[in-house]
Amino acid sequence: MLEIKNLSGSIVDSDIQILEDFSLTVKEGEVHAIMGPNGTGKSTLAKIIMGHYLYKVTSGDILLDGESILHLSVDERAKKGLFLCMQDPTVIEGVSNSEFLRTARSTISSEKVNLYSFIKEMETGMKEVGLDSSMLHRSLNQGFSGGEKKKNEILQMKFLKPRIIILDELDSGLDVDSLKIVCKNIKNYMKENKKASLLIITHYPRILEYLKPDYVHILKDGKIQKSGDLSLAFEIEKTGYTGIKDVSHE
Amino acid sequence: MSKTIYVFNRDEEKEYHYNITEDTVIYHFSINSGGKVDIHLVTEGVSLYYYYNNINYSEHTFMIDVVHDKSHTHSEVFNHGVNVGSDSLTYYVNGIVPKTSFKCICNQENQILNLKDGKSTIWPNLLIDNYDVDSNHGAYIGKFNEEKIFYMMSRGLSYEEANRLLLNGFLLNSDSIDLNQISDFVEEIEKI
Repeated sequence: MLEIKNLSGSIVDSDIQILEDFSLTVKEGEVHAIMGPNGTGKSTLAKIIMGHYLYKVTSGDILLDGESILHLSVDERAKKGLFLCMQDPTVIEGVSNSEFLRTARSTISSEKVNLYSFIKEMETGMKEVGLDSSMLHRSLNQGFSGGEKKKNEILQMKFLKPRIIILDELDSGLDVDSLKIVCKNIKNYMKENKKASLLIITHYPRILEYLKPDYVHILKDGKIQKSGDLSLAFEIEKTGYTGIKDVSHE
Repeated sequence: MSKTIYVFNRDEEKEYHYNITEDTVIYHFSINSGGKVDIHLVTEGVSLYYYYNNINYSEHTFMIDVVHDKSHTHSEVFNHGVNVGSDSLTYYVNGIVPKTSFKCICNQENQILNLKDGKSTIWPNLLIDNYDVDSNHGAYIGKFNEEKIFYMMSRGLSYEEANRLLLNGFLLNSDSIDLNQISDFVEEIEKI
């Protein structure tokens, strides 16, 4: 279970608070969505949970299974089961997709990964997410389209088997068909891993129609201002944030 | 099919001269060495891919001239260095197209990674005396991008493991390199 308690955070070397007294609990198997206008701290939240070097926690805590993770390094958080599907996955020249994922898998599972079975498994996984198998040997994310990068993120999720998955605007850069494919893969993953939880950061309800969140939260001015079910996402689509009751509009 | 040449130096200063008469790929691996390389593209239409990968532990200078003596010639030069300690590493990289050579492509990409406080310098020069030439250069001196390290660590790799993979990718920067030909160099990467 992931608990974010009264979390405030800012950019390193800046006093401007992006998150202020933010609290959220994500229990096993739950799907949460966070929506909000641009610049309200959605991606900051994702990066702070993962331990990004450009952000700092100024107060509050993040607990995983009741234990604080604030002192943990990024890789230690990943080993605890956190996974951030990035909004704009980084290009890494010279490191092949297969080499990277095989190293990551063996590090996370603490087991030696058999090359032959790994390649076979990866070919199957790539087919499932709609990636060409030639991308197996290409440099990580290099020359990939926006959609291919997002599919590659989901491929990594399937292979690394995390239990807290944060999707930071997965739907940006994905066409309708690709969005369906990645959502189908995420849903299958959630079915096979009943304890896994999802935290979806998005601007649009379409991805939520596929992934069916239990809760939808509106993040504004660094904190959650309103929570509801999927109908809240459709209300936002219809009226914009300015039309939502109980949300400040200063 | 291109001709492929492997060159390996360790602790030496050496000069090399090549006259390129057919499409050629040169992989030059160097450990703690400097030197001078002088290349002439002497047959019309030939291409050259030159990969210089260098691990540096003391003060060295590497110079390379690529001269397009004939028209329609094409050169791509990639110089990648890792300056391990506190010494200076200097690259002089000259792409030269004389007035008599038309429709040439002359590109170079240079990078030096300073792992500590070494002083590294790159002089990327394009000496082009013909208007009908496509030519680009780039030079970078610094450390590995922190965003790359973060991305790799977010998938469970330790800081050291992420750096090791990035170093391998940086110094073995072509998929076509036959690692059996450069086992000493691959071993040296592991020692960094």
